[in-house]
Amino acid sequence: MADVTLRDVRKSFGGVEIIHGVDLDIRDNEFTVFVGPSGCGKSTLLRLIAGLEDITSGEMTIDGVRVNDLPPKERGISMVFQSYALYPHMTVYDNMAFGLKLANSGKDAINRKVREAAGTLQIESLLDRKPRDLSGGQRQRVAIGRAIVREPKVFLFDEPLSNLDAALRVQMRIELAKLKDDLNATMVYVTHDQVEAMTLADKIVVLRAGHVEQAGSPLELYHHPRNLFVAGFIGSPRMNLIETKVVSTDRDGATIQIPGGDTMTVPAQAAGLAHGAPVTLGIRPEHLVEADQGDTILDCTVFVVERLGGETYCHVRIADGQTLVLRTDGETTVRPGEPIRVGIPAAACHLFDRDGMALHRLQRHPLADQPLPRHAIA
Amino acid sequence: MRIRKLIGRLFFYLLVACIVVYTVFPFYWAIVSSLKAGSGLFQVEFWPSNPAWDNYVGVFTGQPFGRNILNSVVVSVSVVVLSLFLAVTAAYSLGRIQFRGRGTLLMVVLSVSMFPQVAVLSGMFELIRWLGLYNNLVGLILSYMIFTLPFTVWVLTTFMRELPKELEEAAIVDGASPWVVITRVFLPLMGPALVTTGLLAFIAAWNEFLFALSFTLSNEMRTVPVAIALITGNSQFESPWGNIMAASVIVTVPLLVLVMIFQRKIVSGLTAGAVKG
Repeated sequence: MADVTLRDVRKSFGGVEIIHGVDLDIRDNEFTVFVGPSGCGKSTLLRLIAGLEDITSGEMTIDGVRVNDLPPKERGISMVFQSYALYPHMTVYDNMAFGLKLANSGKDAINRKVREAAGTLQIESLLDRKPRDLSGGQRQRVAIGRAIVREPKVFLFDEPLSNLDAALRVQMRIELAKLKDDLNATMVYVTHDQVEAMTLADKIVVLRAGHVEQAGSPLELYHHPRNLFVAGFIGSPRMNLIETKVVSTDRDGATIQIPGGDTMTVPAQAAGLAHGAPVTLGIRPEHLVEADQGDTILDCTVFVVERLGGETYCHVRIADGQTLVLRTDGETTVRPGEPIRVGIPAAACHLFDRDGMALHRLQRHPLADQPLPRHAIA
Repeated sequence: MRIRKLIGRLFFYLLVACIVVYTVFPFYWAIVSSLKAGSGLFQVEFWPSNPAWDNYVGVFTGQPFGRNILNSVVVSVSVVVLSLFLAVTAAYSLGRIQFRGRGTLLMVVLSVSMFPQVAVLSGMFELIRWLGLYNNLVGLILSYMIFTLPFTVWVLTTFMRELPKELEEAAIVDGASPWVVITRVFLPLMGPALVTTGLLAFIAAWNEFLFALSFTLSNEMRTVPVAIALITGNSQFESPWGNIMAASVIVTVPLLVLVMIFQRKIVSGLTAGAVKG
């Protein structure tokens, strides 16, 4: 239904710039997720799109219309708030109908739209109740329902699931993904939960301190992080980072020093890196193997073992004292204090230069650039 | 242990009894006195042996007391309605909109209530005369808002500030103008606060004496506190206590009724639990 574009959008509060020139294209029908640590400006950016805050400079369009100076109701958006923000004195029906009443829709049209949305969200039986008589999950549905009935071009979600308990959050997450396909609308979603981001998004926008660090598909961010921040932010447990040096570079990548004496060639574009230049080697815990496989094998000592049942996280110390986390299966019998051999597959490694920027990997990951369906379409 | 508990309880109820006697007895005494006739007033009796209604009749025949009550009702109700209207709209801007000098403005509003009535009396008198509102109920309404507005604005601003911001934003996204936000989203939630402040404003206006005495001239324009104070006996050496007591009872009753009606709302207004949704 609608594209959203941001061109050099900036926002200052009382002389302090919070958003430093964001450029972003949110395509029609795309589910875009803003993630980032607290205070990175993700909620502010959403509020700028909503029109609850005015942008200080830059250009913003929704569906091709410049919306810099338009009030929220003329932007064709609707928003779901973290606290749900239901009107406490109105019934569920009136909550959902409020916007339509203000827009002077006909009584029959309002009734039809509200009941239709209630049907989609399975809250027909709650229409006569007040918000205080509803559970958290039900309130969340009503808040989404209130957004749906207005048939907006763009849905905005501000951490909608963060007030729910863990089990309900998973359930609502699945329903949101399904809702997205049903509604066929552009959605922008703010969260600090990277699982929500990875599972829901067509496009993730990682923000830090008012800058866009990287925007791309979830698997692109996972397999091709642009810099150390994104590499550390996406993935759990965090990517292991080892400080090391370049030994030599050629067409096959950069050969780097591995603590303990070995060298390893990582397939990344390393042209321009001098011999001896400091680099950071990044390798995700799930790519390390507890065995004598891999392109390089490190002799390590286990110092903490975290058993989650299905999988086990081993915190190990390598020769020069740096630590790594290794994800292995739940059946492993390693104990703290024991030596362990950890294999590093070179193809799964990332290299970052001294400024923290990633060196391009020689091969794109096959899943990074193609959107994959999440569930069977009924 | 049990005895200590018992004694503690005894003292508690003794204290409650003291407070009840202290607060209620004067009113009770006024009722008893108003039902006595002539020299019976000066006998100590806790229950009038033969109650007489002469005093009540006398109040209305001796002066235009009905008119005075009507004046009081008109003035108090107008003060409450106007104060609440101005205070709600002011509270929205003071509590919800960021602008320069907001804190200063709130302080100025508060400082207005610091001045004792006597201090502003002469200036107010000139103002009322200049506006041509002397001996006019409108003059009283205007002057009473000097002391009702500061606290209504303050209480409602505080209350408004505590209403969740997202609620307002949700309404804005739904297409509500500030006026719609105030009337259809905030006002229904502010019921308890409105009742509490409105009632306090009503009581203040109902009881006001100094301005009412100074800014009115004729019997027909007086409000009840002044009318009662100016009730005269047959000679200048006689204070008609019976009539005064009867009049006092009459004007206290509306306040009691209002408080009774709204007491539950007042409590919830003071605890402000109604905001959570």
